[in-house]
Amino acid sequence: MIELSGVTKQYRQTAVLKDVSLTISEPGIYCLLGRNGAGKTTLLKSIAGYQNISYGEIRVNNQLITTATLDTGVSYIENFAKHFHLPVKKLLHIAGEVNPNYDFAFATEMMERFELDGKKKFHHLSLGMKTMVSTIICLASNKNVILLDEPVLGFDAIMRVEFYNMLSESFQKHPRIILVSTHIIEEITKTIQKLIILDKGRIRFFDTLQAVEKQAYSISGLKSDVEAATKNLNVIGQDSVGGLVTSYIFDTPPKQIASLEIHPLTLQDFFIQMVGHRGGIRK
Amino acid sequence: MNATFAVVKRELASNKMSFILTVLVVLCATTSGDSAIALSNGNYTWLLAAMSPFFFVFYVYPKLMYLGTSKKDFYAGSLVCYGFLALLVSLANTTIHLIFDPLNHTQTVMNLMDLCGWMENGAFIAFLQQGIFLFLTMTFLHVLLSMQSHWYGWLTDGILVAMICIFTPIASLRQLLVGFFQIIMLNSNAFLHIGVCALLSTGLSIIGLVVLKRKTL
Repeated sequence: MIELSGVTKQYRQTAVLKDVSLTISEPGIYCLLGRNGAGKTTLLKSIAGYQNISYGEIRVNNQLITTATLDTGVSYIENFAKHFHLPVKKLLHIAGEVNPNYDFAFATEMMERFELDGKKKFHHLSLGMKTMVSTIICLASNKNVILLDEPVLGFDAIMRVEFYNMLSESFQKHPRIILVSTHIIEEITKTIQKLIILDKGRIRFFDTLQAVEKQAYSISGLKSDVEAATKNLNVIGQDSVGGLVTSYIFDTPPKQIASLEIHPLTLQDFFIQMVGHRGGIRK
Repeated sequence: MNATFAVVKRELASNKMSFILTVLVVLCATTSGDSAIALSNGNYTWLLAAMSPFFFVFYVYPKLMYLGTSKKDFYAGSLVCYGFLALLVSLANTTIHLIFDPLNHTQTVMNLMDLCGWMENGAFIAFLQQGIFLFLTMTFLHVLLSMQSHWYGWLTDGILVAMICIFTPIASLRQLLVGFFQIIMLNSNAFLHIGVCALLSTGLSIIGLVVLKRKTL
């Protein structure tokens, strides 16, 4: 269980996380979405106890997490993680020695499935392969909370599919909280249970994908018709071309009206509307 | 416990460069034949104790963290490692002093164990005194190096440099500094020496734990 209460992280005068409160109580694969600089890495590192927060409290399984927590029970990996310049097989073996609940069988199976050359030294691997090694180590650690920061960076399309399969298999084998931050939105939808959207240091959305499928949609039509139809709804964004208006809604869908076009939003469109930016210009 | 020993194993394996450099210096160091006094090659074994904390703090720590090691296991492993290395270095220097130093018949061979007055208590006690002193040195270096990424690390550096600069030229303060080193290093009273070094090592280990608790990644 992860509990964040009023978490604020400041670097001098700049607040990267602003009063973030969040409770993840159920095991599952959670996706953390956010633009560059939204505070994703800061949030993950803080949950892992790799850095302190300025205000608030973070608890993992009721244990207070700070840099002073000597054993957090959290496994965190970032894509540029530094490892010993050793053969991959040896590296996975050492990870097993320092992690009491390490799943050797899983690590070995994944190494073979991703065609990782066990004899090749870590620094000689490509970026994608390095990230894969880090991810395998993190997942095989079997800690209660797994935090993966941009795990698919440097992966080709096939590796990404394999990665999502690996994530699902690992979760089915050992259900626990797995929090994945990524920019590649659509691909991960089949794997995750819940979505967290972080924007400018604040949680903008935390719910299931089903909620997005049922409640996120666009309404297009004449301005007056759209305004009338969306009067009491939660409008998350709006576009207008000439006299036509498209409103993006996260709410209960209205009844179909002949003069209006209602379409469900893709996750990517929903994300774009939620963070309220387009092409670098705030709407 | 297994994780702690895995850390010890990894730290020793990652410390090859220190071992190689120390062995090279011990084997290659020479003193001019014209000089009446020769420095014992065993003195250079202390190099291993001086270099190891650098590798553990700056090289091994972040890598072990990314492999999922807990801070607790890292610290316990580091202390066990320092203890092992202190005894190893002490054993090597004692062996060199007892076996190889007497082979030089033309010069007076100076070994730090003699200089510190430890050999007055016999070889075994001297070995122990040297071991505890080296453990204290390594623990001190570990704590000092761990602080370097924080403001208080720089502050400590500044205080240490200021102490040396201020204490050395002023006779009364210099005596204080000399007195301190006479207790922790140049001390032939084995009981007092081992006791003080053990006490200081314990104190430094506790400070090291506090520093580790503030360490970020």
